[in-house]
Order: sequence, then C-alpha cells, then structure tokens
Amino acid sequence: MAPPTGPRAGGHVNRPTVRGARGAGVGKRRATSRTDRDGDVSMDSMTKPPTGPSALSTRGGRGARGGRSARSSSRLTQNIRNYVSEHDGAVRNPKAQFNKVFIRIHGLKDSKAASNSDGGLRSLLDFLERKSSHERPITFGKGVIRGDDVWLKVNQVDAHHLLKLNGFTFAGAPLVIEESTGPIPEQGSTGGSETKTSDTKEKLLAVLASRYNIEQKLLDLSALGADQTLRTMGAFENKALAEKSFKALMRLTATRYDNAAEKESAIQAVTLANNDILDVGEVFTLAQTLPRLRRLDLSGNQLQDFHKLSKWRHEFRLLEELHLVGNPLTNLTNYPTQVIESFPSLQILDGHRVRTPEEAAEALKAWFPVPFPRLPSNLRDGENNVASTFVANFFTLYDHDRLALVRQFYDAESVFSLNMGTEPASSPYPNYSRNLEIIGVRSPSAVQRLFSGGNVIAELWARLPATRHISLEQAGEWQIDCHTFPGLADPSGQGIATGLVITVQSRFEEVDPTKQLVGTRAFSRSFVLGPSLPGAPHPYRVVSDELSLRAWVPQQTSATAQVAPAVAVPVPPPAAAPPAPPLPSDLERAQMILELSNLTGMNAQYSELCLAGLANWDFNLALRSFEEKKAELPPEAFAAPTA
Amino acid sequence: MSANSHETNVRCSSEAAKTFVDWYYRAINEGKPVAPGYVNGHAAYDRAGHPPADICINGLVVATPEEFDKLLEKQRQAPKQPDPNKKRVRYEVEAYDVHVINADYRFGAPQKMLDLHSPTDGMRMMMALSVMGTVYFGTGRNKDDDYWEKQSFHDRFILVPNWDSLERPAARGGRRYLVVSHNYRAN
Repeated sequence: MAPPTGPRAGGHVNRPTVRGARGAGVGKRRATSRTDRDGDVSMDSMTKPPTGPSALSTRGGRGARGGRSARSSSRLTQNIRNYVSEHDGAVRNPKAQFNKVFIRIHGLKDSKAASNSDGGLRSLLDFLERKSSHERPITFGKGVIRGDDVWLKVNQVDAHHLLKLNGFTFAGAPLVIEESTGPIPEQGSTGGSETKTSDTKEKLLAVLASRYNIEQKLLDLSALGADQTLRTMGAFENKALAEKSFKALMRLTATRYDNAAEKESAIQAVTLANNDILDVGEVFTLAQTLPRLRRLDLSGNQLQDFHKLSKWRHEFRLLEELHLVGNPLTNLTNYPTQVIESFPSLQILDGHRVRTPEEAAEALKAWFPVPFPRLPSNLRDGENNVASTFVANFFTLYDHDRLALVRQFYDAESVFSLNMGTEPASSPYPNYSRNLEIIGVRSPSAVQRLFSGGNVIAELWARLPATRHISLEQAGEWQIDCHTFPGLADPSGQGIATGLVITVQSRFEEVDPTKQLVGTRAFSRSFVLGPSLPGAPHPYRVVSDELSLRAWVPQQTSATAQVAPAVAVPVPPPAAAPPAPPLPSDLERAQMILELSNLTGMNAQYSELCLAGLANWDFNLALRSFEEKKAELPPEAFAAPTA
Repeated sequence: MSANSHETNVRCSSEAAKTFVDWYYRAINEGKPVAPGYVNGHAAYDRAGHPPADICINGLVVATPEEFDKLLEKQRQAPKQPDPNKKRVRYEVEAYDVHVINADYRFGAPQKMLDLHSPTDGMRMMMALSVMGTVYFGTGRNKDDDYWEKQSFHDRFILVPNWDSLERPAARGGRRYLVVSHNYRAN
C-alpha cells in the first residue's frame, strides 16, 4: 500500500545526506526533479503561474519549495499518518489527532473540474495547496467527497491558511471554505442526491415486502413490468433499466439478512414468471443472491433454447423444483434431459418427478467434494474396556469433583493444557489457552500455559468454569476413538510400555463464573494413558490431557428450524406494522437475566431458560410467564447454582 | 518436574509441532501425498518391527497412509464441477497444542542416538499433537474464498522421532518426526 502522497520530490535530492529519504521506500518520483545552480529544487510546476486544474497535474508533481531533509522526512511521516488514519476511518492514535480540524469546502460540484474522473477532487486539492503554500509548503492529505461538499482533515496550523482561500474562484466556481466540527459524514448518509437514492430504496423495499410470502418462503417477482409502483418509478421502462432495477432488487434482498443461512431459510422459492426474459443472463444476479434456492418458477418467459439457460448451468446446485412451462425451449426434442443434467438436485420439473431425493443426493456428489462419512465411536481398547470405564468416570468426576479426579488419575508427571481458537475477550479461558498458532512457539506463554503435575492441574481446574457434560447414554452425541500403541516409558524406568490414546468429541454446558451465564461449548479432548507408578490408586494414569474448545454450533437441520420466525423478513416501511425488534446482544441478554433473577429470585440458569423460551427475550413476557408458572417451578429454580 | 515438561523439550516439541502442522496442512491443501510423513516404510522402524501407523478417520480405520492419500484424493474429485475454485478442500488451522508424552523415546532408536542424546535434549521425544480448525469443501485456494460446505475438524497425531533423518542432521529435507497414530474427526 503506497501512501497517496509520495515524498516531496525536491526537498532532499540536493542534500548529500538523504537521511529522510533513505528507506522511505516511496521515492519513485525523485527522477523528475531538477536542481538549479545553488542547489535549490526547481520544478516546472513551481515556475508556471497557477492556471487552475490541469489534466496533467498530478499530486506527486507538487513540489516542496526549499524543503529540508529533516522536515521532509517528518512531513512524510505525517503524511503517512494522515493517510492511515483517514484511510481506515478510525482514530488509531488519538494523540496524533488533537490538533486536527475538519474543513468543509463547497463549490467543487459547480466547477468545470467536476467532470474529471475523480470528480475534480485531486485538482481542487492541488489548487488549494498551491494557493496556501506562501510561507511554507502545506499539504492537506486526502480529501473525501460527500454529497456536494469536499471534506478535509487538516492540521490546526494549516487551517487558517486554507480558510483564507474562502471565496476564491476555482475552475469557474466560487469556493465556500469553512471550518466544521466534523466528523466527516459517512458515505451514503443524507445529502442532496442521496435523499433521492434512499427514497428509491424505500420504494423498492416496499415492492419487495409486498411480494414476499412468509408461509411459503416465496419471493414473488413475477410480471415485474406490470407492477404499479415500479411503473410509476419508471424502473422497467427499457431493457437496460429493467436489468439494473432487477440488480437493485437483488441487492436489497441480500441486505435484509444478516448472514447466508438466514437468507437461505427465509427465501426458498422465487417466481420470475411472465417477465419476458429472453436469456437468464438478464436476471443472473438471482443466482448470486440466492445460490441455495430450492424452487424456481420461470414459466411464461421467452427462453428459446438451452443456450439461453446456459448462464445458470453451474448455479442453483440445490434447486429441487423448476417450472419452465410456456417457454419455447420446452418444445425442443431433448428438453427434459438437458435441464435435469444441469441441475443436480432437481427432482420436480414442470410438476413431474424427475429424480428421487436419493438420486438427487447422488447426482450432487459429482459437483462438490464430499466430507468423509461420519461413523460412530471406534473403541479398540482391548478386552478390559479400559477406555469406556475411564471416560465414564472421568466426565462424571470432572463435572462434580475435579479434585478427586486429579487424585485418582493424575500424578507428578501428568500434563494438561487447553487451547481454543479465537474467542471474545470476555471468555474465562484465553489466559490459559495454549494455542501455539496464536501465542507462537517461542513465547514464554508456551511454557507457562503447560500445566504439569497433579497439584498444579487441580489448582487450574478449580478456576475453570463449572461444566455439565451431556450424558454418555446419548451415544450419538459422543465420538470416542481409542487404540493402544507402543513406545511409552515404563514408570519403573526400564523398558517400553504400552499406552492408550483416547480422543473424545462432544459438548458440555458451562457456567460463566463472572456472569453466571449458561452456554454450550463443543470440545475435543485427547488423553494419553500409561501405566502408573507402583502404589498409585489406579493401575494407569493420565500422561497427557489436551482439551480443545470451540463455540458450539447446532447442526444444520436444527439451525434451519430455529430461524423460522420472521427475524429478517423484508419489512414494509412505517405505514404497516413496526418491524420486530432485533434480538438483544449477549451483553443485553446478560443484563436481562440479571434483572429477571433479581426480580423473581430465580437463579441465573432458570432466569435464562425463562427468557430464552417462549418469551424470546421479551422481558415483560418472561416476567408474565414467571408469574403464571411460579407454582409449578421446582425448588432448584431458586437455589444457588451448583459450582 | 519430569523430563516431559523440561523446558528444552517444551520448546523443541512446540517447534516440531509447528513444522509438522505447516507441512501437513500445506500438503493436503495442495493435494500432495502425506504418506511419507507416517511411520510406515521407514527403515529404522521397519527393522525394529514397529506396527503400521494407526489411522482412524471419522471412526473409519484406514489400513495404510497410501490409502488415506487415496481417500483425500477421492474427496477432491468433483468430476462435473468445471470451476477449479469450487473443487478444493481447504483446511484452515485455528489452534494447535502439543505435549511430550515420552521424553526418553527408545523404540527402534540406533544406539548412537541413545548415547548422544539425553531425555532433556529435545530430540528423542514422543509427542501428542492436537490440531483444531475448519475445513471448507468446494472452495478456492485462498482464505475467505466462497465455499459449498464447511465443518469443524480436530486432528490428533502421535509423533515419534524419525531416526533415519535425525541421525544425519546435515541432511536437509526429510521429516524429523513421523506419525504413528492419527485420529481425525469433523462435524
């Protein structure tokens, strides 16, 4: 990423010691500068009188008259800093920002330069810098155009030079330059022409809302040309405009949903019937917006042959139902076969079954890599069922009595560590996470976060959140694989012992110790068991215990079922019912749980159950349902949570 | 403190884990065979009569690493998919961790290695490595490419010294640690 304002070419070239320039890495324009006899830099652009914007003027060509190497390097630093802070929009270093002021410049839109490719911004900045650099060279960094105005963030000391230019004429238009309190408005916020855009947007959203059928999860985009609203907007006046409008509709559809899964479950069917479509290329964006569409109606269009369908040949891999009745291509000889071939999941074409669900699943396999089949637990632990016994003991004790667990299976040589991927900062684990991918292999944490010896492990476990693993009887929720292997050290110090390695995958409920919140977490845990020292409570001990944690994501099927309520349906504008309030964030939820717990005397776990259930995080609803069901609640609902 | 958690061993095992993780996931992401990284067919272990590596993929026991390579290869095939950016299987590692489980590993070790290296040298280590991440199916080469399906995966390896390559430290290339046990689960 090269800063947009390179080093001021002239300043340092004449200096034999170019400290400021060396290593800056952006000195590519140095060759264009010239020095005169006494070593000063002279550049063409400096000697010519300013003539307003010129197509040839480039920002790099602006010279710093008589710059000194030291200053030029500090200015370079400043420019880079300006650029960085403006570029990402965030104030990275508040210290460097205190002497900045916002300047708003009006008038660029009326100037002749407005027709330049960048809206004349660059020419305007050149002009302003040239005009204000009387006493010393001044640069203004990077400006942005918002609506009719140009916004600049400049140094306090430079600001008054710039404000003096108020009323100057730039490319035939008078400039109004004034200081503003800022901040620079966001792109797309209200401004002259943007009001119009948002108006159009609202109208299109209304169209989408009126054409969405929540029961059928259907977006009805049939006969768009006949739509009253769209006609008054002139959105479908000609072919080009119609294609654009369709793109806009698709874009808006996409923005209504937070993520792809939500979108997929909310819109499963689309009808584009009776739209005079000649080639699906005209509505190609549908495939990008809704790639996992299940049902599509294209009947009553003008698709002549398969070629007109070919742009979608590699799209809609999950399409199960398609209607093409009323298109000329349905009369072609190889009509159904070719279409069936193109859409691997297709089961119903024009109302006829063309594949069974099994055949469709098989056809889809040819299109995408298929995950390895998932088999149940693979226990190869010999005749004594050591692993099954150990696992059953282990997780019961881990949930209820970790100290007893350590005493049974861990000794001075046992090693434990846990690791997790990225996790919000509030998590109870990150200070212990020995994730070498994140902390790095040479970090002191790699040593500190390795817990060695039963006592140390017990001490750590006492600080970890309380857990409740799901019952081992639910075999489908556990994958336990194990086998024996040679090569462990025999505790007697002589010879080689056989070890047993067990890898367990499942999930547990966990109570956040600070917030008393219950959550579910997925885990993988690998144990290496080896023979114990003589006199130990068990014939074997845990040599190594590695716990990997990650957020638990419900399986696809249940996820789809959960999203069913109208979370993000296209909502009609204010005239109709107000949109459903967004679901609260985790923090808000924590507060609601605390509040409910205080009011009702229920513990956090039951308070959460109450809120998350039918009430769906509506506090008043939850309180009402508590009052109704108070009598039926078990005593543990009011007991302190078991740690 | 036992030799397993001796500082040299902790550091060396972490570095060995990084080398292994970098190699293994790059290889499977690029469709290169990983069989040479398993203990099968390595002279020192063959001579000592080491059993073949135990490979268990989602509960399925796979007999040889070559067979595992074939499974990986088969997984990448999507004969009808014309777009190479929708054919790949890409593993992205998010976390890994390693323990030394025997700092005094001796199986098949040449006498020279036993004489030269004490259990706290960070050489004769048997290690348990666990790796966690996300696997993307039907995706391109790069992070953030579009994908068809994804799963969380967990790999657990047991690694032992590759005596053949450790004996000749000057010899470049060749894996310094070999897989004797591999367990993979994804969901």
